[in-house]
Parts: sequence; structure tokens; C-alpha cells
Amino acid sequence: MTLAVESWRMELASLVGESRVVTEPEARAALAADGKVPNCVVYPPTAEQVAAVLRYAAEHDLAVIPCRNGTKLSTGNPLRRYDLALSLKELNQIWHYEPADLTISVEPGMKLGDFQHFVGRDGLWLPLDPCGGARASIGGIIAANAAGPLRQGFGGPRDMLLGLKIATTDGKIVKTGGRVVKNVAGYDLGKLLIGSYGTLGVIVEASLKLYPRPAERVTFTMRAGTLATVRDLRRSILRSPFDALRLAMLDSTATRLVRGTAQADERGDAEVWVEVGGSRRVIARCERDLGQLSRAAGAPLERLEAGEAVAAWDHISDLSAWLQGVYRDVIVLKAALPIATGEEFLGHAQQQAEAERIPVASFAQVGAGIIHFCLLQEKLTAGLEGLISRTRKAAVDLGGTLVIEHCPTQLKGRLDVWGAAGDDFEAMRKMKSAWDPKGILVPGRFVGGL
Amino acid sequence: MKSTGFFRELARIVGEDGVLWRPEDLMLYEYDALSSVRQPDAVVFPRTTEQVVQIVKLAKRHNQPVVARGAGTGLSGGSVAAEGGIVVGFSRMKQILEIDLENQRARVQPGVVNLDLTLAVTDDGYYFAPDPSSQKACTIGGNVAENSGGPHTLAYGVTTNHVLALEVVLPDGEVIHTGAGHWDRPGYDLTGLFVGSEGTLGIVTEVTVRLSRKPEAVKTLLAIYDQIVAATRTVAAITARGITPAALEMMDGFTLRAVEEATHAGYPMDCAAVLLIEMEGLKEAVEEHADEVEAVCRENQAREVRRAKSAEERDLLWKGRKNAFGAIGRISPSYYVQDGVIPRTRLPEMLEFIGSIEKKYGLRIGNIFHAGDGNLHPLIMYDSRHSEQSARVLEAAKEIMGRCVEMGGSITGEHGVGREKINLMPLIFSDDDLEMMRRIKSFFNPLGRLNPGKLLPTGKMCGELRVQAGAGGVL
Repeated sequence: MTLAVESWRMELASLVGESRVVTEPEARAALAADGKVPNCVVYPPTAEQVAAVLRYAAEHDLAVIPCRNGTKLSTGNPLRRYDLALSLKELNQIWHYEPADLTISVEPGMKLGDFQHFVGRDGLWLPLDPCGGARASIGGIIAANAAGPLRQGFGGPRDMLLGLKIATTDGKIVKTGGRVVKNVAGYDLGKLLIGSYGTLGVIVEASLKLYPRPAERVTFTMRAGTLATVRDLRRSILRSPFDALRLAMLDSTATRLVRGTAQADERGDAEVWVEVGGSRRVIARCERDLGQLSRAAGAPLERLEAGEAVAAWDHISDLSAWLQGVYRDVIVLKAALPIATGEEFLGHAQQQAEAERIPVASFAQVGAGIIHFCLLQEKLTAGLEGLISRTRKAAVDLGGTLVIEHCPTQLKGRLDVWGAAGDDFEAMRKMKSAWDPKGILVPGRFVGGL
Repeated sequence: MKSTGFFRELARIVGEDGVLWRPEDLMLYEYDALSSVRQPDAVVFPRTTEQVVQIVKLAKRHNQPVVARGAGTGLSGGSVAAEGGIVVGFSRMKQILEIDLENQRARVQPGVVNLDLTLAVTDDGYYFAPDPSSQKACTIGGNVAENSGGPHTLAYGVTTNHVLALEVVLPDGEVIHTGAGHWDRPGYDLTGLFVGSEGTLGIVTEVTVRLSRKPEAVKTLLAIYDQIVAATRTVAAITARGITPAALEMMDGFTLRAVEEATHAGYPMDCAAVLLIEMEGLKEAVEEHADEVEAVCRENQAREVRRAKSAEERDLLWKGRKNAFGAIGRISPSYYVQDGVIPRTRLPEMLEFIGSIEKKYGLRIGNIFHAGDGNLHPLIMYDSRHSEQSARVLEAAKEIMGRCVEMGGSITGEHGVGREKINLMPLIFSDDDLEMMRRIKSFFNPLGRLNPGKLLPTGKMCGELRVQAGAGGVL
């Protein structure tokens, strides 16, 4: 440990307590990002202490990454520097919970799995299935605006957030929004924090809307031979009177991976998966409608066994982590597109990959225009950068964007993770300097190097 | 009064027929639906974004305030020129630029009337979800500025949940595009910041909104109560049962009788309160929920639960509700609408409190609530010709707002802060909170020329509320 590090370790210890400033190599390595290991990990137990740590870091120009379990630590452009991991593990409380109000306030370090368990006792849930799954923390989910396939039925964190308390780099705690479901007092600063990846401030409390959990949920699959059939199914499902909770298209490789049936290089059919929820009677009605529209599209319908459905959706939600277990150097590209262009994008992207002989799997939230296009790499091969650039161009040409959601670190310096910024970038830059004038929060990770 | 040279410059941008500057022409623009403040120096009606840019640049050269205005239906003084200057009226920017059903979106100019967008897509089975009571008149630009709600926001959220992208003219004339025509564009969510910023950060010149699919079935219930507290208790009982109606409205007997006399919607004249409850969605789900809700109402001492038998009956019930403020206008020379929010489980307590305020100040208060989401619109009736009464109204209103805040609620659920609640902001925000908002504002609107005197209190106005006799009168 250098003298400087030892000096700020001691000062941080005076702010949060000796035992809450950790410099052991294992603890630091667990929160490494892009190959950079922080000099120390701080575990402040209160919001005020988070603010105090941030003020100290700003005064001493220490680069800070707020985190919990590190499920999103590898997201974004390479960090310019990384001194301090600010772990929110100890901010783990629930405040202001009244089930009949369908609202709750929670600290950022609570894990989604624990949270769902807590509110589940009252038949409620937060209808989110983000990457990281049950391990993802509430703060991380908001900071990454992480929504999985459930966004089809419920939208994303942006639609569920009522208010935030944010620790700022000048050591203050700023409140925005409130705890009630309707509130338009003041600027909606919370929106800036959602999806900001920790670059503006540190969320120390979030107030959220809760939802009644559907009585039952059932997943149906439809075998679609071609992208044209996928498109027909997507159109008829979105026009049908029932609301799907989740709606996904899995290409043939993705289908086999999720179902765990065979090797990924075999040929087969793409599938469209629909989850519906409600009473038995409502589900029976959905099944009837789905039967009709799948017959019209020539795509046989199957009702998935409940256990298989749960495991499969968990994989689809936590795509990057799951695929990494199978393909060490997997690259996950996320295209966000106007809904109706999804199949066209997939057609282009698949063609490109085939030309480069790179095996791919696609998982598409076709009702929301979100497509995860995964390059199944066991180790990096030539031609990848060109393929990613061309795939990005296909998304942009269709009016969308393409983000590299997960890739090996060595690729990051060569490609911009987020893609080109728009004519509002200068305004974004101003927001960054309003919140974090010294640029100590997650430096370099976000769009345009913010 | 500005020089004729200034008006001529405006006319060069928008044409002779696009500028108003004579006092008699400006009178209308000293109002919104809350009150009158003062006349602007000029009103201009641009047709294009480029003209808005020119206007904003001209205002910058002359150091004039610029205030955007839709239909002037706002209830917090958001669109009046509190410090004079130029009002930019959007009544000539009312084109629906693109309807794109397969992508579930539409691109509109800010002057498009809220209901007109829904009417344009209704035959295809879509609608624009935010439905303020003024939706026949209010504009989408105004909805964006105020982050407007409406009865059906209980299930579908407010304006911000339905806006995908914006084109914004900043105070120096720069045009930026925020958001995208799809989900999850990387970067800070500036769209979310601009929605509800009440015209203080930029002027919105184009809006991309999300369109929603019309539900297959709708059922509207009218639950009638002899005791108002029983009606309020029902509200939390419904959500506790795991049912989220599309709308859940409450009117007390007094308001109801005024509404019935004005609208003849078929509301009972002799009850203490009604709940208007609407379920939407799949036929089977709606039927189940309607049965359950009816049972909950009866368990909570509803005297009677009626179901609208036809679309006409349903429309009539809603007409009564949406015209309620107007109906009160028939029986009281002036009224002051509050827009407080509380957790819905606290409704019974709140009603009792409002009753005690009525007695304490000797004022009649009508209760009309978006009860499902705890959004209260108490209507305080008075006569603005009596300044002493106006002062009592303000005191009563302030106490009700204070109680909302104590209960963990907010001072505005959908009407905005505007000019009206600027002095109440410190009730819910600390100096640090407000300082951060000021900092954000200073980055976009450093000289404060965009809609000055709105949303954020300045040091000098803290703690003081002004009374001014006039039409609405309280500000």
C-alpha cells in the first residue's frame, strides 16, 4: 500500500469506521472492473456516510464506483481511473412500506431476490427481471435502467420509480420526487439518474411502485420457421386484446441453448415465447387466442411446463452471465429499435455473422424492439470489430441504437461501447458537470466518455 | 410597453397576422385556468421550429422573457407571463406529423389538442393514454410541460410515461433532440427531465408519443355511499385485493349535486359520496374484477352499486366527472382547486381533516378526488370580491397542503407548481434539493428568461403569498 493510499484509508476509516474500509486483495479483486482493481473498498452503513465518502473523494480527486454485487461492473467504456469501490452492501433497509398503498421505499443495497421475497408475502412484486436476476441490487437496477423481458407487460424501472434520495459529490443528500404514486413537484431529477450508471450521484434510497402479482403465469411457445413468421406472430400478438407479460423471440440456436437440448450449431426453428398471467379463466382465454393466431401463422403452439419456463426465463433475463458460463468470450450486443424493424435488423445481423462464420444466438424482446445479438465466442477471433460495426450500422440505419452490453475488456478500447452521441450530448455533458463537477464518479464509462 | 420596432421584428419572423401586441388583444393571455397575472408584451404564433428559434434569439437580443403557451387550460399559472415579455402561442403548430401504428407511436407538434390525437387513431384501435379533464382543449405541448395526469393515470401513468422523444429549442436558440423513437437510448434521460419542467428549461417544438392499444372491454361502476368515510375506505380495500382499476374517482355529495344539476348524468342526489370505478382490459379479467370490486364496495357499506349499461351511460358518468369544476362555477362565484397527493390509505383521515378546515375557516369545500392514486382536488368555494375571504382561502389551502406533506404526500399531483405553489416548494424540498434544481436550471436557462417566476422559489419570495382580487383571484 502506498503512503497516499494509507493516508486516505485512515481518513475514510474515520468517516465510516475502521472495519468498513477494506484493502484486502480478495475484496478489492472481487470488485475489479475492466482489469482495474480499486485501492480500497468502503462500506458506508448510512446515507449520510455515503455522502461524506463522496465529499472526501471529490476533495481528494479519487475516482469512485458505486456498486453492490458487481453484476454490472463490466458495463460501458473502459474506466479512466478507479480508486475507490463504494459498496452499498450495508444500505439494505426497507422504509415506508404500506402494502395497500402499493408503494415502498428501499435502500439501494437490497438484492432484488430479497426484495421480491419481502413484498411477495403480501401478494405484491416489482415486475422486473433484469440482468443479474435475483442478485441484482435495487440501486444497480435503477442506475442501469435494467429491464428484462417483463418490460413487455410493465415497462421498466423508469415507469416504477416514484422518488430518489441521491448522495452527491458535494457531500449532500438530494431528494427528488416522493413516495406517492403521483407527483409533479419540481424537476424530475430522478429520470436523470435512471440509466446513468452511477456517473451523476449515488442512489441512497428509492421509492417504488409495487404491483399485484398475477395469480398464475403460463408460458406458451410457438415454432416459427422464418423471420417472416416471427413478424406475423409479433404483429398479431401486439394487436390481440390480451396483454403479454413477456414476449420474446429466440432464434434456433437460442432456443436450443435455453431448452438445453443439443449443441448450438445444429439447425432448427426459431421460437416465439409468450408469457401471460391472471386467473385460470383469463389464461384459458389467452390460450384460445394464441391458438388461433399461431394456426393462422402456421406456427405450432406448445404450453411450457412451469418449471422449465421459470428456468428458461431466468436464463433469458440474465443473458450475459449465463452465456459466459458456456462461451467464455461471448459478446452480447443490444440493439434498441423501433418495434417494427426488429426482424429486418435480425436478418441483416444474421447475414453479416454468417459471412464472418461467427456463430450467433439472438434473443429478442420483439414487442419492445430490444434485441440481444450474441456472438458465441470461446476466444476472440478476427473480423469481430468489422462485424460489430456493420451490425451497429444496420441498427442505426433502421432508426435505432446498438450498445455492446458485454464483451471481453481487450475489445473495449477499440470500439465505443455506446455508439455515437446525438445533438443533445452537450446538454448531457452539462448535466454531468452539474452533478459531478470534478468528474470523480465512474470516470470515462458512460456515453461519450462521460 | 415595447417599441414598435420590436413588434415589427417579431412580425418579420411570423408574419403580420402572427403577432398580437395591442392591450385589448393581449387581455386573454393574462389568464390561465387558475387566475390572471399580467399581460405579456406580445403574443406570437410561430408555424415552424425555425420560427421559434428566431423568436427565442430575438428575445435574447432584447433580453425579454419567453413563455410557451398551449391552450391556457393550466391550473397553476404555468403559461402566464409573470414578468411580461413574449408569449409563444402554439395554436398554429398543431399538425400531427406522423402516425406510426406498427411502432405504436406518433409524432406531433406541441399545439395538437390531446383528444384530437386520440380521435385520429381511435378507428385503428389506439389512443393516447394521458387524459386530463381538459383534454378537449389542452395541448400535448402543455401536457409535456406540466407532466399532466388525468383519471386514467391510475393504471397507465402520467404524461412522462408516454413520451418517447422531444425536439427542444434552448434559450440560446440551439435545437436539440432528446430520447428516441424506441426504448433504451443510451445517455441521460433528458426527455424525462424536460417533461414537467414547466417551460423553464427549453421550449418543446415536437413530441414523439407512445400510443396505446384500446382495451377490449370496459366496465364502469358507480358505487353510492351514505357515509363519505366508507367510500374512502373502499379505495385502499380495492388495491389491497390486488386489483388496479383503470380509474377510481371519488366525489362527495355536495359536489355531486352541483354536477348533477349541471350535467344530468344520472348521479343520485341524496348520497354522501360516490366512487366512479372503471375496469379495462380483457373481457374475462374485467368481468372478474368488476364482480370483486362490487363485492368490496358492498363490504364497505356501499348503499348501491350500479353498472353503466351502455357506452352512452358511461360517457355521461364521465362527462359529469370531467365537467365537475365547471359545475362548481355555477354555484360559487370563485373557487380554488387544490392538487394535493397523499398515500391512498390515508384518505379517510384526510377527509376528516378537510372537514375540520371547512369549520375552522368558515368555507365550503367540495371534495373531488382521483382517489385511486390519492390525488385530491378539494375545491374551496369563495367570493373573490371579498379580499378577506381570499386570504382565508389561501390559509385553508396552505393547511391542507401542509397536511398532505405531513402524510408523506406532495403539493401537486398533476397541475404543476407554476406560480401558484412556488412558495410551497420548501414544504417538501430542502434547501439542498432546491439548490440542485436551481443548478440544473442554470445550465439550461442561465439568465432565467424562460418562463421566469415559475416552479422554483427565489430567495425573495419565500414565505409570502400574495392575494390579488380578480377572476380566479388568489394569486
